[in-house]
Amino acid sequence: MELIKKNAQIKLAEQGRDLLREKMDALIQEFFHVMESVSQSRIELEELSLVAQHSLLIAQAVDDPVTLKSASFATRRGLTLHITGKNIMGVPVPIIEKKRFVKNLLDRGYSFLGVSGRIDETAEKFEAELDLIITLAETETSLRRLGGEIQMTRRRVNALEQVLIPELKRQAKYIENTIDERDREDLFRLKKVKKIIERKKKVVKKA
Amino acid sequence: MEFAYVNARIRGMRSRLLDRSLLEQLINKPDLDSLIAELEKTAYRQELEKAGVLFSGITRIEVAIRKDLVRTFRTILNFIKGEDAEKLLTIILNRWDIQNIKTILRGKKIQAIPSEILECTIPAGQLDEAALTELVKQPDVKTVIDLLATWGIAYARPLILNFKEYTETRDMQVLEYALDTFYYENALSVLKKDESEDARILKRMIITEIDVNNIKTVLRVIRDRIDREEAERYFIKGSTEFDTKKLLSLMKTGTIEGALKELEYTPYQFLTKIPQEYIAVEKISAFEKEMERYLVKKAVSQFLGNPLSIAIPIAYIWAKYTEVTNIRVIARCKIAEMSEKELREALIYV
Repeated sequence: MELIKKNAQIKLAEQGRDLLREKMDALIQEFFHVMESVSQSRIELEELSLVAQHSLLIAQAVDDPVTLKSASFATRRGLTLHITGKNIMGVPVPIIEKKRFVKNLLDRGYSFLGVSGRIDETAEKFEAELDLIITLAETETSLRRLGGEIQMTRRRVNALEQVLIPELKRQAKYIENTIDERDREDLFRLKKVKKIIERKKKVVKKA
Repeated sequence: MEFAYVNARIRGMRSRLLDRSLLEQLINKPDLDSLIAELEKTAYRQELEKAGVLFSGITRIEVAIRKDLVRTFRTILNFIKGEDAEKLLTIILNRWDIQNIKTILRGKKIQAIPSEILECTIPAGQLDEAALTELVKQPDVKTVIDLLATWGIAYARPLILNFKEYTETRDMQVLEYALDTFYYENALSVLKKDESEDARILKRMIITEIDVNNIKTVLRVIRDRIDREEAERYFIKGSTEFDTKKLLSLMKTGTIEGALKELEYTPYQFLTKIPQEYIAVEKISAFEKEMERYLVKKAVSQFLGNPLSIAIPIAYIWAKYTEVTNIRVIARCKIAEMSEKELREALIYV
């Protein structure tokens, strides 16, 4: 009975391990897919950041940092983002609403007649950087969560493969050996009893 | 109008402006410390010493040159205080008042702390530091406008007229556009009443500025694909050569290249010579830089004009402003370790 139970447990553990392996493969595939877009966006972000910094430097140099700060008063406002989520193989990942922060000349909050094109270009480049940072926030969070899930799944697969299944097999083997031993003992005992009975029968016949 | 005394003083001040060879020396300085050491040998010494008590590095230079600019312009205003010429010269210096009022209104809208707002003002116009300090102490946009009206500052008028729209939309642009357009309209209406040669000289300069601003507006609205009717609101009126009709015909071309082609037989022909790579990416700052250079050259060339007219103060104010900009560009590019080529591109030489 116990052996049947153990064998069923081994089968279940092996099925679980195979399922987890499949899940891990799917997660790895998704992970590499997301990673490709993250590394592409990272490169883009670095390039954009350099260009934005350069524009800022020129604007500060020509227009005076106080003029820039004054313009920033007009544009200072909070950003509202709508965040929902989705599941990738049971892993919850965020979806950040795609909002364009690159603004039109008339939407920056200041009169463009009194603000130089250099400041506008700087604002535009930093707005584009913000767009990319928000996209990256979504994909990087997904990447981190997928990575965490892959690690956890790998640990589970390893635990099943290295610990639980061998332990169950060892237990099943032990039970099997014990039953075999008991069988052999029973057989021996039966043979012994048979011999005794036969011997007793012979004694009775002689008498 | 009597400019003989003012111009004699300004000629003295002009001799203290940095010449091209000194600017070259500043460009060739290896670091900021040697740049400061070189600047300490010039007229900026006094302000550099004062700024050195509180600041160091690039901030020291920027604060010093800003204060020097303010001190210089205030000195010029003091030369002509109470005279007829004051009315004309304040027209030029009022641009700083406009900028300061805008900064205060922006700061008040977001409830920035008064000291932060005050740091962003440049009291080079009619409103001195004391007036600006009083303005930034006001609790909100409305009280700032009320105080300007109480003081009888002309710029309160467009603000009062547009305040209702501002309260409905909470859009600071409403007040800012009103201020920007009022500045030019007010300047032209003051100059229209004055038939003197000085008024004519100043009017020519103001109209050139209006043209430059309007051409910039055309290029910017084309780039940002802004509706033609909407864009028309942002044209500053007053120019004869580039009136609304002409500006709209520039806009009708729909592309920067098209607009530049239309400018071929105008004083702004130089814009067509801007490298194709900038035209292709519609880099407005490249056009803007050339137009600023044109404006500065035109203003500074007034030094060659009538020595007893407003031409000399106009030229000096622009030359001083350009000098301060050039020093800041050199200093900023030095700390960013930019190449000499990039530095020279950013400079506005006179």
